[in-house]
Amino acid sequence: MTIAKLGYTLLGLFIVWNWGFLMGAIFRKIGARVSGRIGIPFYQPWINFFKSVGVRTTITHGVMYYLGPVFRLTGGIGLLFFMPLIYTGDPNGMWTNFSFEGDLILILYFQLFGMLGMAMGAGEGGHPYSAMGIARGLAQHAAVELPLTLAILSIAIQYDTFSMYKIVEAQQGGFQNWVLFTNPFAAGAIILAMLGAMGHSPFNLVKAPNEILIGPATEYEGTYLGFMQSAGSILHVMEAVLFMNLVFGGATSWPELIVKTFLIYFWSVFVGMVFPRYKIEQSITWFFKVPLVLGVLAIIVFSF
Amino acid sequence: MISPIHILTIGLGGAFALGFVPKKAKDAAAVLMLAAIALMGVLTGSWLIGLINGESAQQIFTAGFKPPFSINLLMGLNESVLTTAVNFIGLLGGIYLYRNLKEAGNHAVMVFLIFIMGLNVVIMTRDIFNLFVFLEIVSIATAGLVILTESGKSIQAGFKYMLATGIISGVLLLGIIFAYYYSGTLNIDGLTAANIGALKGGSVALLLIMVSIILELKSFPANGWGLDIYEGSNAGIGAMLSAATATAMYFVLSKLLEMAGSEWNYWVALIGAVSFVGSNVLALKQRIAKRLLGYSSIGQIGLLMIILGFKDVLGDNTPYVAFGILFSHYFAKAGLFWLAGIVKQNDIANWAVIRKKPYFLFLMGTFIFALIGFPPFPSFFAKWELVMELVNTGNLPWVVAILFGSMMEAVYLFRWFGYAIKGENENIEDFKIEWNKILPVGIVAIALYVTGYFTSQHTDAGAAINWIPLFFVAAIFILDFLPVFIKNTIAIIGMAFYFYTIYPDLDNLRLVFEAIFMIGGILTLIAGYAYKGTRPGFYPVALLMYAGLTTIIEAQNTLQFFFGWELMTAGSYFLIIRGKRSMPHGLSYMLFSVGGAYALLMGLGMAFAGQGSYDMSIINSISYIPYWAYGLLIVGFLTKTAALGLHIWLPGAHGEAESDVSPMVSAILLKAGVFGIVLTLIGMGGENNAYPWLPYALGWLGAITAFSGNLMAVFQEDAKRLLAYSSIGQLGYIVLGFAMMSHLGWLGGFSYVVNHFLYKAVLFLTIGAVVLRVKTHNMYEMGGLIKRMPLAFTAVMIGIIALSGVPPLSGFAGKWLFYNAILEKGWYLQGAIMFFSGGIAFMYLWRLIHTIFLGQLKDNHRNVKEISIWFLIPIYTLLAGIMVYSVKPQWVLQPLGDIVAQWFPDGQLTWDGGTAFTKYGHWAGTAVAVTIIAAFLVVTALLMISTRKAHKVKQFDITYSGERPERPETTHVAYNVFEGLYQAMWVATIPLVEKWWNKVSDFLHDTAGIVRRIYSGNGQSYVIHIVLFIIVTYFVIIGG
Repeated sequence: MTIAKLGYTLLGLFIVWNWGFLMGAIFRKIGARVSGRIGIPFYQPWINFFKSVGVRTTITHGVMYYLGPVFRLTGGIGLLFFMPLIYTGDPNGMWTNFSFEGDLILILYFQLFGMLGMAMGAGEGGHPYSAMGIARGLAQHAAVELPLTLAILSIAIQYDTFSMYKIVEAQQGGFQNWVLFTNPFAAGAIILAMLGAMGHSPFNLVKAPNEILIGPATEYEGTYLGFMQSAGSILHVMEAVLFMNLVFGGATSWPELIVKTFLIYFWSVFVGMVFPRYKIEQSITWFFKVPLVLGVLAIIVFSF
Repeated sequence: MISPIHILTIGLGGAFALGFVPKKAKDAAAVLMLAAIALMGVLTGSWLIGLINGESAQQIFTAGFKPPFSINLLMGLNESVLTTAVNFIGLLGGIYLYRNLKEAGNHAVMVFLIFIMGLNVVIMTRDIFNLFVFLEIVSIATAGLVILTESGKSIQAGFKYMLATGIISGVLLLGIIFAYYYSGTLNIDGLTAANIGALKGGSVALLLIMVSIILELKSFPANGWGLDIYEGSNAGIGAMLSAATATAMYFVLSKLLEMAGSEWNYWVALIGAVSFVGSNVLALKQRIAKRLLGYSSIGQIGLLMIILGFKDVLGDNTPYVAFGILFSHYFAKAGLFWLAGIVKQNDIANWAVIRKKPYFLFLMGTFIFALIGFPPFPSFFAKWELVMELVNTGNLPWVVAILFGSMMEAVYLFRWFGYAIKGENENIEDFKIEWNKILPVGIVAIALYVTGYFTSQHTDAGAAINWIPLFFVAAIFILDFLPVFIKNTIAIIGMAFYFYTIYPDLDNLRLVFEAIFMIGGILTLIAGYAYKGTRPGFYPVALLMYAGLTTIIEAQNTLQFFFGWELMTAGSYFLIIRGKRSMPHGLSYMLFSVGGAYALLMGLGMAFAGQGSYDMSIINSISYIPYWAYGLLIVGFLTKTAALGLHIWLPGAHGEAESDVSPMVSAILLKAGVFGIVLTLIGMGGENNAYPWLPYALGWLGAITAFSGNLMAVFQEDAKRLLAYSSIGQLGYIVLGFAMMSHLGWLGGFSYVVNHFLYKAVLFLTIGAVVLRVKTHNMYEMGGLIKRMPLAFTAVMIGIIALSGVPPLSGFAGKWLFYNAILEKGWYLQGAIMFFSGGIAFMYLWRLIHTIFLGQLKDNHRNVKEISIWFLIPIYTLLAGIMVYSVKPQWVLQPLGDIVAQWFPDGQLTWDGGTAFTKYGHWAGTAVAVTIIAAFLVVTALLMISTRKAHKVKQFDITYSGERPERPETTHVAYNVFEGLYQAMWVATIPLVEKWWNKVSDFLHDTAGIVRRIYSGNGQSYVIHIVLFIIVTYFVIIGG
């Protein structure tokens, strides 16, 4: 059982990893087309990855620098372990990974594991851009957290549970049972907060691709970067899975998961194509406006 | 028994004999005077012993007639106590003034002797005319003594004194004449029997007599002359006025009050209260030491007048309460005046010079703490009884007035003391020591401790106090000259042994807190081995704090609890103020502590009311205005947990403290407040809480405190202040957890209590040790220290992960429990604020580790060493605790759950092996930890295989903005890193609370500044004040 489960989990990891790469490529492509360029081939992320892990010369700035990507990737993998991917009607089913029914609080806090670890690792690189990116990232994350927490609490009140599995289960039986429709305020807050969590424009000052190279990861190369890329790919998909499970009824099969995560991801890319980047203080205040109001409404509606 | 009349014989005979001593034999004259006073003391002392042993009081009738034809003196128990006291202080005062009097000549020596003798008679006399005569003798003697100091000020003061006492004596004489006219007697007992107040015209006589005695006590506001004399006279004379004269006059008032009848009680109490509050408020602006002491003396006499006015309420306890306050004042004020004479500094700021001789600082501290009413001094026990009885009888406004006045007194006395401990003293000339001056000061200081001990034994509750920890503190104090290594070892062994002996007697709740206090104490003391030399003064005060902490845990009754609470406050105050720039923070800590303690005192008084017991269990069944009682208790405890509004002392106090003191006052001390809150909430009925609004308000307060503390922490540049604000935030979580009044909420609260202790001790110890190495608190001046201090870095990393609540470390337990508790309780918005605060916490945690350990190493730190091994030992012991808690949370949470279940049996966690269940979800602590660790190891292994040939480069080997940076300072991102956040959230960082408290302080100081202008220094004005005082009292008491 456990061995089989481990096998399924690792298979899931593999699928997610690849799907993350592919999805990343597709959206780079879309972005290019929108701005009238041809863009990268769809297999570019794999090339990047294998090139990164294949380089013969790497440098290290020290132990913490070394552990940064480890934290980041462990964060991604752990998140996958603790998240039920596909709803099969069995809380210990094969695609539920090691989620223990997916305690929502564990997932919420474990997201930060990779973030914190990478922040520390990048810090040892000593590059100012790392620190700037992280400072901005943490500030924005805190702002995202507020509406997100309210919305998640609202969903927990709605279904009287913190179990991700049970939340997904309650949304089965047609789209009208999705949180999107049964708890529109919470869904609204999450959908808006999601933009910040995904980190695309207008909330991408953290990575700020042009001005400061690639933000926190600026000093990383070689396998470290490969690990970072893998972690990024996994985390992107897992973030989408989290929101899929919370708001969009979860997935009962892989194709459903692929479609839903694609659309969720597309939402943030779509917004990113349309809106230019915010400064950090602008993005923070943005989350304190409409998303926060929606979050509070979601709580008020369900606390009476 | 020798007849007390011989006091007169000795006094007059001595004075007469002094006339025969040759002018040049100055020493002989002075010795003769001392011998005479000593002889009077022996006489009165023998009476004291005799009366205690059951001898009967003696009435003396001069010339063999009965009153009204003779003068009547009485030597009863009260008289014997007070005359002995006057002679004792007279002897010490004589020794102190030995050189002054001797230089001034035989006449001065004579005057001093007559002065003391006069006071003896004033105490003993039962005849109002005789009283008048001896008051005149004392007044004239006083004026003579005052102008001994030949300065303009003292001559003016003496003259104004003569003016004022002249008017007062005139009024007194008028009163006496009227009294004699209407009643036909001058004897107090006769007048009492005649019920003078009820006679036609007698009430006016009585009013004149009473008012003049009240004026003699320098009642506010007709007391400008009194202040001038305290300021203008020699400090030795000031001591006599404050200790001896005031004591005697107070007794006169009490004698006359019996004669005046009970309707005067109220007026005496009222005038006392006005005097107490008024002079303590006015003293706020005062910066001249002796004048400040004058204000304080007048205030204390006001307090004693309140006690006298409430003698019917206090009943048999009156002497206990009155003597408790009186003797604390008598010893302490004499001591302080004498110190003023030794230090010879007018401005209180210049008293910083006193610590050039640390022994004197100890003496000053003793006197100041005795005046404020800290344990173990008699005033502590007296104030306790006073407040308990007054609350018990519903006299709440009086209690408020007393506590408010005491609070004001604490403000100026501790400000003064703060200057003494921390003020700038390099450019102030050291003072000289004369042995005849030190001796009396030392004796009164010892007397305070001894009387304190015996005062405590007088009541059952006080007798139950465990003095062993205090004796241990005293022993360490005596051994203070030893090197750190020895003292530290003694302290650790002592604490360990004490913990070992008492832990079997404690219930589980108390054991948790005692373990935090004692084990935490021992671990933080281990860090003390890193210090060299003798570290003077550190060990007694640290152990004093721990003695207080263990006393509140062991307390069987509320008096013991309060005793421990105040000891802890005193100890922690001294610990905090040891920091380099801690003067203002020590003061604000003390003031909030004193304010909090008074709230506690009132709350405990309300608990006592109606129940008539001091047992700790009374707080479980408060029936007298329970909402107020519980509310006051909570407010009192919240001053220690630094809840928003009461927090402004904390950042400075914790931030500026020494490296091993910060964890003591943060990780450990704050839990005392939590313990108090826990006791109060249990008292409110646990699950059946009948006062829902209190926890509700507390919950919001906790959530907002968490938010504000964390947000402020984000914007700190000083590493230790960052941690200090973080503590405010963490305590906010704890308060919110307990306020939920549910099983899960309490379990979450306890989980935070244990966790905060562990990680905050780790963080403060580590950062403190780093600060010792790099010699700065500013994070932007550090950076890149991971290379120099890998062990310190690891400790901070684990500490911040545990604090942040990221799984798999122990902090997550608290987060998980809180989410479940919030959902169960329905406090969603409070919960959301708290979780948002958690997000904010990330920022300061990252800032802490990044700006200190990561980024660029500064040139001046290239050779710093790893932090001291003596810090690493406790740090890594605590880290082991965090790890055990993380991997096996059930080992901690199950016993805590059992404790909580005593009061909150519903909604417990259910455990299946290492997995905890609530009705909302479950958490498999061990399994999660194992999963994460396994994934981590696999990924690490993969990376290691792939990068085994990685080339190691220096941190500075980077390019930036198209060039290789030149200096680490320009490359290390550390200063104002969260500028974006600040621009978005600056509104929430406006220090409204601090502004509000500043406004309060300004208002009080401005009021004092304006009102004290009535003391114009003009003798005529003072006379008008006296006349107006008499007229106003006439209209208020009789005219109405």
